[in-house]
Amino acid sequence: MTSIKISGVEKRFGELLALSDINLDIQKGEFFTLLGPSGCGKTTLLRTIAGFYRQDKGDIYLGDELINDVPAYKRNTGMVFQNYAVFPHMTVFENVAYGLKVRKLPAKEIEVKVKTALKNVHLSGYEERTPDKLSGGQQQRVGLARAMAIEPRVLLFDEPLSNLDAKLRVEMRDEIRSVQKALGITAVYVTHDQEEALVISDRIAVVNFGKIQQVGVPWDIYKDPVNLFVATFVGKINALDVTLGENLPGGMRKAVAGSVIFAVPAAGTEACTEAVLAFRPEDIVETTSDAAGANRLAGPLVATSFLGTVASMEIDLQGRHIVIERHRPKKADIPAIGEVVEFAVPPDACLLFEKESGRRLGGGKKR
Amino acid sequence: MSLGKKKADIWTLVTLTGFAIVIVFLIFPLFDVFKYSFLDKETGAPSLSNWKEFFSRTYYLKAFAHSMIIALFTTFFGALLGIPLGFFTTRYKIRGTNLLTTLSVLALLSPTFIGAYSWITIMGNNGFLRNIFTSIGIRLPPIYGPVGIILADSLQYYPFISLMLAGSLMTIDRSLEEASENLGARSIKTFFSVTLPLVLPSLTGGALIVFMMSLSNFGTPAIIGGNYRVLATVAYEQFTSEISERPGMASTVSIVLMMCAAVVIVLQTWASSRRKYASMLVNRPVVKKLKGAKSFFAHFICYFIVGLSMLPLAVIVFYSFRNTSGPVFKPGFGLDSYRQIFYDVAKTVINSFVYSFIAVILIAVVGTLIGFVIARKRNMAVKILDPLLMIPYIVPGTVLGIGFIVAFNRKPIYLAGTATIIILTYFIRRLPYSVRSAASILKQIDPALEEAGINLGSSPGRTFRTITLPLMKSGIISGAIMSWVTSMNELSASILLYVGKTMTMPIKIYLSVADGYFGTASAMSTILLVVTGVSMFIVNKYFNRGSDTFIAS
Repeated sequence: MTSIKISGVEKRFGELLALSDINLDIQKGEFFTLLGPSGCGKTTLLRTIAGFYRQDKGDIYLGDELINDVPAYKRNTGMVFQNYAVFPHMTVFENVAYGLKVRKLPAKEIEVKVKTALKNVHLSGYEERTPDKLSGGQQQRVGLARAMAIEPRVLLFDEPLSNLDAKLRVEMRDEIRSVQKALGITAVYVTHDQEEALVISDRIAVVNFGKIQQVGVPWDIYKDPVNLFVATFVGKINALDVTLGENLPGGMRKAVAGSVIFAVPAAGTEACTEAVLAFRPEDIVETTSDAAGANRLAGPLVATSFLGTVASMEIDLQGRHIVIERHRPKKADIPAIGEVVEFAVPPDACLLFEKESGRRLGGGKKR
Repeated sequence: MSLGKKKADIWTLVTLTGFAIVIVFLIFPLFDVFKYSFLDKETGAPSLSNWKEFFSRTYYLKAFAHSMIIALFTTFFGALLGIPLGFFTTRYKIRGTNLLTTLSVLALLSPTFIGAYSWITIMGNNGFLRNIFTSIGIRLPPIYGPVGIILADSLQYYPFISLMLAGSLMTIDRSLEEASENLGARSIKTFFSVTLPLVLPSLTGGALIVFMMSLSNFGTPAIIGGNYRVLATVAYEQFTSEISERPGMASTVSIVLMMCAAVVIVLQTWASSRRKYASMLVNRPVVKKLKGAKSFFAHFICYFIVGLSMLPLAVIVFYSFRNTSGPVFKPGFGLDSYRQIFYDVAKTVINSFVYSFIAVILIAVVGTLIGFVIARKRNMAVKILDPLLMIPYIVPGTVLGIGFIVAFNRKPIYLAGTATIIILTYFIRRLPYSVRSAASILKQIDPALEEAGINLGSSPGRTFRTITLPLMKSGIISGAIMSWVTSMNELSASILLYVGKTMTMPIKIYLSVADGYFGTASAMSTILLVVTGVSMFIVNKYFNRGSDTFIAS
């Protein structure tokens, strides 16, 4: 169990600045996720921790040890690869035993450790199979067992589930999470799947353009994004360009999008006129025209989609499309296409971002 | 600012070795050839006299023209034989396709001079086919000269075209042709607007290889060319007849030959890079079942083409079992010729095996290591080394032989007359193929596997040994077997470098044919054919490699 400290790390590939001033403190036993779109630098950072890349600037510590100059094979990190990287010329047993043999453990001990590792990933009895006889999910379990068997200081996951089908993905991510917690190994997990990140992580770092955008617990990342990128990348959100106008009573301010007028919390917006107003589909409440309250709007239904637990409705709001979600939908409750739907955006659901920089206006952990 | 310290590791050493090999065994000898072409052969002063001579004497200009004519016609007839075979065997149900493919590869890999020599026994002045035709009153054109060269060359090299065409036809996804038909194109239109454009890069690639092989081939024109001289034979003749220490004309002719080869290689690279269609093969193409006359016709064409290319090989094997008395064939069959080989020239046979074996070990080890560096370590030095290593592709054997003998016949490296110089020729000529094939095998191995090894605590050296090497093994061995075959059959460079005690089988065959000892030549050719055939069988059977191995490596 080891903490990881990354301080001022920078990495260039030729002209491309892949990592820029990365600072992270990953706690002992923490499940820490690097989340971002492809090409954002998250995998580069993971590979720099593993020692496959050498950073151009900055330091990386495992525990108290500065590992900048420790070659990859001496870092004792257990990596799980995106395409499994199970050695095709070895049996399951030999794969898991590989790192232990390198460490020159006695054969008896190797056998015990391999058995334990395979048991942890529910692959007991598969010792003599060759990888070509295993499914993708089983191969990734071998990869996981192999990485855990060496009792690494940290586990590194490089999009380990992205090659698996949807159902298996959910199953495996829960398993990874429970094994990691049971063994208490610090884990760094790379993914582009925001839902996976929210479910599996203790903390998430959202990465884009080689920079850390926000670090926080899943709740904060989702509910309290620091900029427009984090807000749009994590979860679904409606975003409208607005012009901020005069102050309204009750600490509110007028926000105008075309002919639609919103009342939004004024706190923190003082210096700004051009902004982006964002709100999550599930925060929108359906209402009737005679009800009281702010930000009551209406528009014809353009499209619907049904996802089982949720039905989402796309509504035309004077040329802009707004998505509303209805939970535990009943077929009879979904209006017909073209029918006018009335809804309200509660002011406390409104997130405001500076248009120019995407920086969050106001905010703070209140929800 | 970089905090990393570069430590000299094994891969740096490999890269340096690569450079050393290129400089000592390629640049140095080729520079010598280049130098001599610009030195007056009488005075030794820098001059353009050799070049003036080349461009003013019809002897040289004719050789140039002949080389072009031979290469062009061989390509044309190679395509004429290769295209129908490649097309029919992939698109129609032909019984015994595997046999046809194997036999055509055997024709391709058999020593080039065997075909030529065999056509002499078939159609030479006293050839049996000529005698048959003469007895019924038909006079065949003389086989010595361009007709014989083109005949032997096209029957040897056509598989380059058929195999490359078949390979590319088999990777066209069926849905592409279906899409065309679905959009309303009839099948003939589909062929010309979809299928043909897709296979054209491979077809051009195959044709250019045939052109290149025929251009630099020495054995065939030397044996069957008669007075019809091409660049390769002129370079050889000039070299062996120039008594002066300065082989001016041989060098000049060599440079011209190399330039032609370089142009072809550039064209080939351009042709294959220009239109490379990465195709996602989901649905294999349909193999149509033909009926009645059409099926008979397709079978006839395929078997006729392959049969024709097998004829010279079969004749050689047949003749090797005929009784002889010196140069004269006698009635009856026996093992006279083989007995004679083992009494008189056992050393030659042993030489061939020993030299090729040593060369193959060197080729496999050095080729794999350099291939690894090229595939996995893309630093500046490697980027320079990579194209340099491809030089042997454009250096015809004759030219390399001349380079070696002028460069290594004096201090600091004196190798003339040794076995080492012959082994080194085999080594250098095959090295680029081995490097290429190792690099391409490596490109198919996911680098994540090596990273996994490293990550689990295995040092880079150990990772290479326990992960990379075992995964490359079958590719390396099948590549090595191919190197073995080509080394066993090498003639064009070693003919310039051998002395009595370092003679090899191809050289002995060439000399025996020249002296009229057809019996021993046939027996030795048969041994080479058996070696070639067995090697191919091993590759096919134990390494599960398709016919593409034979053209790619």
